Amino acid sequence: MANLASVGQPAGHVEGPSKVTGQARYTADIRLPGLLYGKCLRSPFPHARIVSIDTSQAKALAGVHAVITGSELPDRRIGRFFLDKPVLARDVVRFVGEKVVAVAAESMDIAEEALTRIAVEYEALPAVFDPVEAMQQDAPRVHADTSTYTHPPVPDFVHPGDDRLYPDIPNVVSQVFYTHGDIEAGFAQATREFTHTFTIPPVHQGYIEPHASVVQIEPDGKVNLWISNKTPFVARAQFAAALGVTEDRVCVNTAPIGGDFGGKGSLMDSVVCYHLAAVAGRPVKMVMTYTEELLAGNPRHPAVITLRTGVDADGRIVARKARLVFSCGAYSAFTPLHTVHGSVHAAGPYRMPNVEIEVFRVYTNTVPAGHMRAPGAPQIVFGVESHMDLIAQELGLDPLEFRLRNTLIEGDAAPLGEKWEKIRCKETLEAAAKEAKWDTEKAANIGRGIGMYDREPGAFGPSSATLSIAADAALTLMTGAADTGTGSYTVLQQVVAEELQIPLESVRVVQGSTDSAPWEVGAGGSRLTHMAGQATLAAVRKLKQGLTAFAARHMESPQEQVTYRAGEFVNTNGQRLALPTLTAALADREELPLRYTGEYVAEDPVDVTSFCAQIAEVEVDPTTGQVTLKKLTTAHDVGTVLNPLTHQGQVEGGAIQGVGHALTEHLIVQDGAVTNVHLGDYKLPTSMDIPELKTVLVESGAGPAPYAGKAIGEHSNVAIPAAVANAVFDAVGVRLMDLPVTAEKVYAALREKNVIAKSDE
Amino acid sequence: MKSIHLRVNGQAVERDIPDNTLLIDLLRNGLDLTGTKEGCSVGVCGACTVLLDGKPVSSCLTLAVTADGCEVTTIEGLAEGDRLHPLQKAFIDYGGFQCGICTPGQIMSAKALLDENPHPSKDEIQSWMMGNLCRCTGYYKIIASIQAVADGKVTP
Repeated sequence: MANLASVGQPAGHVEGPSKVTGQARYTADIRLPGLLYGKCLRSPFPHARIVSIDTSQAKALAGVHAVITGSELPDRRIGRFFLDKPVLARDVVRFVGEKVVAVAAESMDIAEEALTRIAVEYEALPAVFDPVEAMQQDAPRVHADTSTYTHPPVPDFVHPGDDRLYPDIPNVVSQVFYTHGDIEAGFAQATREFTHTFTIPPVHQGYIEPHASVVQIEPDGKVNLWISNKTPFVARAQFAAALGVTEDRVCVNTAPIGGDFGGKGSLMDSVVCYHLAAVAGRPVKMVMTYTEELLAGNPRHPAVITLRTGVDADGRIVARKARLVFSCGAYSAFTPLHTVHGSVHAAGPYRMPNVEIEVFRVYTNTVPAGHMRAPGAPQIVFGVESHMDLIAQELGLDPLEFRLRNTLIEGDAAPLGEKWEKIRCKETLEAAAKEAKWDTEKAANIGRGIGMYDREPGAFGPSSATLSIAADAALTLMTGAADTGTGSYTVLQQVVAEELQIPLESVRVVQGSTDSAPWEVGAGGSRLTHMAGQATLAAVRKLKQGLTAFAARHMESPQEQVTYRAGEFVNTNGQRLALPTLTAALADREELPLRYTGEYVAEDPVDVTSFCAQIAEVEVDPTTGQVTLKKLTTAHDVGTVLNPLTHQGQVEGGAIQGVGHALTEHLIVQDGAVTNVHLGDYKLPTSMDIPELKTVLVESGAGPAPYAGKAIGEHSNVAIPAAVANAVFDAVGVRLMDLPVTAEKVYAALREKNVIAKSDE
Repeated sequence: MKSIHLRVNGQAVERDIPDNTLLIDLLRNGLDLTGTKEGCSVGVCGACTVLLDGKPVSSCLTLAVTADGCEVTTIEGLAEGDRLHPLQKAFIDYGGFQCGICTPGQIMSAKALLDENPHPSKDEIQSWMMGNLCRCTGYYKIIASIQAVADGKVTP
């Protein structure tokens, strides 16, 4: 892009000063007069009937203002799409950590003391933890009767598919098919077939800010909510439905989000918090401990991925059948509507004419799953990319060569039939291979592995933004979207500055509450740069047009003879009018502030995607199984990069999340309970765990965001687990079929391999 | 209950507090200094890092009574009016934060490092900052931010 002044330049976060000085008030930082602290007693059983609850001792404790149980609340289930979750357990608990009783007290200490004085008698019920076991006829049913559960109608689906909600299979919430081509004919063309199964445990989003909610009820009943939720308008709708009131009775106020990664899109404790505030007659704050987060947050779905692939004599894929089984845990309330979005990636970014993908989402007596950065994709791509290497090995092909024979190229239809412009899959893979020096010699116990992924820029839901101008020509953009840390406000600021050819500093970006900002879906699905960016662009263009009319009046020129450029208006006579002069004049006539709202709706899906090719280089200690990630190459097919600083921040942060997923992170679930419930045991990567990182950007020159931008938020975290597992195989010849790739597993696999090797001698 | 006298960001503070009060709760609830954040509550994530007589501590694991007679510095004590501390400026300019929740702790740890060792190597920065988790950045730009200050590239 030629001559861009703001867009394309590295810009630090516009909200930076408030965050680096500690002035930014996150939800947990909010203080209100008379504020009480809420806390919940949680189930110690994975599945049990509640026989009795005695809260009298808790109610008698000084400083306790509310104690509530599920049976005292309206029998109304809550959720994002599927309404299947009680606010507090009623009659039955279905996972370890389910909320059973809530208290509000004058201090957190008193609230915690009150919880110890509550007696709950349970009668244990048979439980099921594994999603594949849960689908068997003799499996315990997590929900005895789902017939009364409600959900909105299934919308028209992007890909040709067949959705069945609550089919006649035990514990199955949804069964979805994606098909393209003729799967049987495809396998008939194959000369070889390969089938492998992979298992992926649940992982936590790892944001450092635990979920928090604050509820204040005004005397007229209007509810003020502060919540660590990235989609305030969506949260308002769900919250109002949960309360049984209309949306205008609720205002979701703004607070920065302390990390999201998909996890901050649920109501979490907010509805309990409301009921406590209603009973106590005082505002209530609830902040989860990190132990509650790990035990009962909304982690990434665990999955069992089975892939069957047919290959012809030339090493080209002719058919792929995938069976994807996701455990959604005890409730489906805060998981996607019909499926786990990433399911479409079971075909990978490869040319394959015949595809059938079958996806199940299954109830188990475990922590309910939610969304996490590229939902479903890392699980599936771990399977797909490991499977690619396993096939290459059987065919005697180099993993790079096998992929290059099958990657999509310009003009190809994607495996499920999408038509994409400017396919840069092969180019991205080749760029990664070049940067990683794929073909160079490796020392003993060093290995390299590839992982690939693609993702389209998000295009769902409407976006809007309001741009206003004041007497001193100061510009304020109001958005209803939360910036979860990705730098979305800064990108919007750049768009305004660019379009008006003014310095970045003259544009302020503020997030409005749901009472003050125009409606906006919010952050998620790699959509903000595209959608909020376009809405902002529309607002700026309206403002320019509107001000030009005022300028023409002021200059007494016909409007078509007045043009705007870089902070002033010029007419065909060469007469100039500075923007602040115009706004001051408008202020004198009491015509300010002027507000212009831009709105945007896009075609979904868009006609481009973004490819990502990643290569891990590891060293494996053959005596201990320890894997050291030495180097990571991440190549991305990008459009115009609007802000190189924050774009690269997304690449880096995502990559290191992928490293955690690959090597150290998993929620260890025993008898249904998460057992590694603090950050000492749940191992997020530290500054000592990061490899040398090489980023390669392959510019495709196309994208739906302003100035031909694409998305980057949910790309770099996805394929790294597969790349690492493939690299471990390359280094020492052992193949792990489940995550994470721990030293213990590598060591056990090495021992097994050596025993077999010895017995062969 | 115990009476404690300390200085917080240069200001004298006197409080009568229950013996089991944590320093983080004194700061956040007692003094409304909510810049210090609570993440893991078990001394692993470093979000609650403050300086106690110049040394970094996890305020979630520190009893407030142990700060009696001490100088406590929090993130609110770094900037002089609108003039940011070089580390604060560097974290903005070099992309050292995204969501910002771990940032007060990161900056306080980094300040302790530079107070002790004004010109650390990249390895020394990486090693020192191990006790401050960040889920957004992958650490590269945190290290670059601190390095920039150490190299004198950031003027307040």
